[in-house]
Amino acid sequence: MTGTFGEENLMRLRTVLAASAASIALSAAAQADGYRIGITQNNVGVDSYQTTYEQAFIAAAEADDGIEAVVLDAGGDVARQIAQIEDLIQQEVDAIIIWPTNGEAVIPAVRKAKKAGIPVIVTNSNIAEQGFDFIASFSGPNNITQGARAAEIMCDKFKDMGIAGEAQVVHITGQPGYTTAIERAKGFEDRLPEICPDVTVLDTQPGDWNREKAQTVMEAFLTKYDDIDGVYAGDDNMGVGALNAARAAGRDGIVFVGATNFAVGYEAMERGDYWGSIYQSPVDDAEAALQTAIDVLDGKDVPLLNYFDTPKITQDNMGDFTKPVF
Amino acid sequence: MTPGKLSTYLKNGAIWGFILLELIFFTVAGQFLSLSENAFMDAGNMLLLFKQSAPIGIIAMGMTIVMVNGNIDLSVGATYALSAVVLLDAMTWPVFGGLGDWVIPVACLLAVLTGTVLGAINGLIVWKTGVDAFIVTLGAMLGYRGLVFMYNGEQPTSHLNWTLVDFAEAQFLGLHTATWVLLLVTAAIWFLMNKTVHGRNAHAIGDNREAAVNAGIRVGPHMMINFMIIGALAALSAVVFYAETGSVNPNDGELYELWVITAVVLGGTKLSGGAGSIISTFGGVLAIQLLRKGLAHIGADTSTVNLVIGLILIAVLLLDRQLNVKGKEALKI
Repeated sequence: MTGTFGEENLMRLRTVLAASAASIALSAAAQADGYRIGITQNNVGVDSYQTTYEQAFIAAAEADDGIEAVVLDAGGDVARQIAQIEDLIQQEVDAIIIWPTNGEAVIPAVRKAKKAGIPVIVTNSNIAEQGFDFIASFSGPNNITQGARAAEIMCDKFKDMGIAGEAQVVHITGQPGYTTAIERAKGFEDRLPEICPDVTVLDTQPGDWNREKAQTVMEAFLTKYDDIDGVYAGDDNMGVGALNAARAAGRDGIVFVGATNFAVGYEAMERGDYWGSIYQSPVDDAEAALQTAIDVLDGKDVPLLNYFDTPKITQDNMGDFTKPVF
Repeated sequence: MTPGKLSTYLKNGAIWGFILLELIFFTVAGQFLSLSENAFMDAGNMLLLFKQSAPIGIIAMGMTIVMVNGNIDLSVGATYALSAVVLLDAMTWPVFGGLGDWVIPVACLLAVLTGTVLGAINGLIVWKTGVDAFIVTLGAMLGYRGLVFMYNGEQPTSHLNWTLVDFAEAQFLGLHTATWVLLLVTAAIWFLMNKTVHGRNAHAIGDNREAAVNAGIRVGPHMMINFMIIGALAALSAVVFYAETGSVNPNDGELYELWVITAVVLGGTKLSGGAGSIISTFGGVLAIQLLRKGLAHIGADTSTVNLVIGLILIAVLLLDRQLNVKGKEALKI
């Protein structure tokens, strides 16, 4: 009797496993004798940029018959990402692309890949300089430049408004520990005093790349500070969260500047609520990463820092850019 | 063989049967679905499995004792992060400037000491106030995490020491350093739970606290020692992991308490206390890592992995309840 029960249960487990396996089974790409490239991403699904990036990466890999892609996601967990790198080394892929969850913690794992003779391409946000010896190339935006450009957009706007002498801004950063967040913050904080020395940064808090979190942070700022002239958010997702908080509190006249122009940011710019951002396409980002990996494997000369351009976008020039799809 | 014995046998053996099932499933499914040319049961892959199980596994051993006691510790993830911060930061303290690479054992000891102290705080509060461990450690989870953020703000704490990395990456008799630590901890806690008075008391307290008090067991200090053990093990887990990575995000270790508890429960330990086995917890840890690894091997994404683990956990609890009901019925006959 008990034996039957156990068997039934094992069957049930097996069905669960089989069903889930079948539903997600990636249609194993044509087994061409090309390159097998593994990618471990930071946290797909946490925001639309990363989701679009993954879709664009898979599409680009499928479009190329010579490429077989093993697409993994660390879910924001450093330990899981390191395990994934170890697994990819174990599977003897031809190249590994990493979107680091922590720009320093992955360095030893990257060294392991290099020791195993597998070239590593870092995508989107770079690892710390100590790790540069072990990577073939970094493909992504220059986040320090992005932060600096955001400071310029904000300063120019303050000058137009004639408040560059006394404006006060608050700063919402991305996920703590994340190189992109640190670099953008640094670019902004270094550049702003150079061009607008009289503008003060009142406060800096992390919004974790999350719109709701950024809205909560902004609500706290609005309660704490009576006079806020500008908000710099590490991306548009958080910028729009902050904008929502300001509108709910009935506080007008605040200049919002973000980065990584999202559709929500673009729409808010069309409405005139949101001033500017940095235009960065996840499709360009994903395609650049894959192309960099292919170039490295083809033996081409690839620069260590392989940046793609990310221009300024404001209400004034937004007509030159198509609305982001994410 | 009485039905009671059979159900006990099934309960204890279930986790290993499940692991076997996973191995078979992923080996077969891997043939069709995997993009890898290597088999799932490849020796190198299995060695990695043990190594990658270590961070959760080491903490799970401590959690088993605490749960056998009828308590729980939700603060292990935060303890893990705070100990990691101490480990990495201590290596840069000017006080230890003259030590050279001897700073490594000193920093490791400091980290483990941190974990032990944090565990002692939990244990002391549970002992002296009588507040449920769930609530105490829930508060500690938030409080200790707050300390992590206070230590270095939103920035990661980093110190890459290549000597330490090389030690962590070393393989002795084929097994990684992390695997050795996991095996030694498992052996030590198994000994503690099965061969010592402390271990027998742990079961007695979890089974019936009042009876244990009447039997003269000093329940408060006993629980405090167990919280110190799990704190030390959470710190040891951090030492093992961060030796190899050299950088800790302030939000690292979040949700570790849940993974650890999942592993322990999969291994058959009762949430109500009194029953639990170290060897089965080891099986639970392996089962979870195998599932993560196997699903990745056949191309599942992270969210699917979490979904499947969640479903299996619920299935196991249902199975467990069924078997226990059967066991009780058998006793009545």
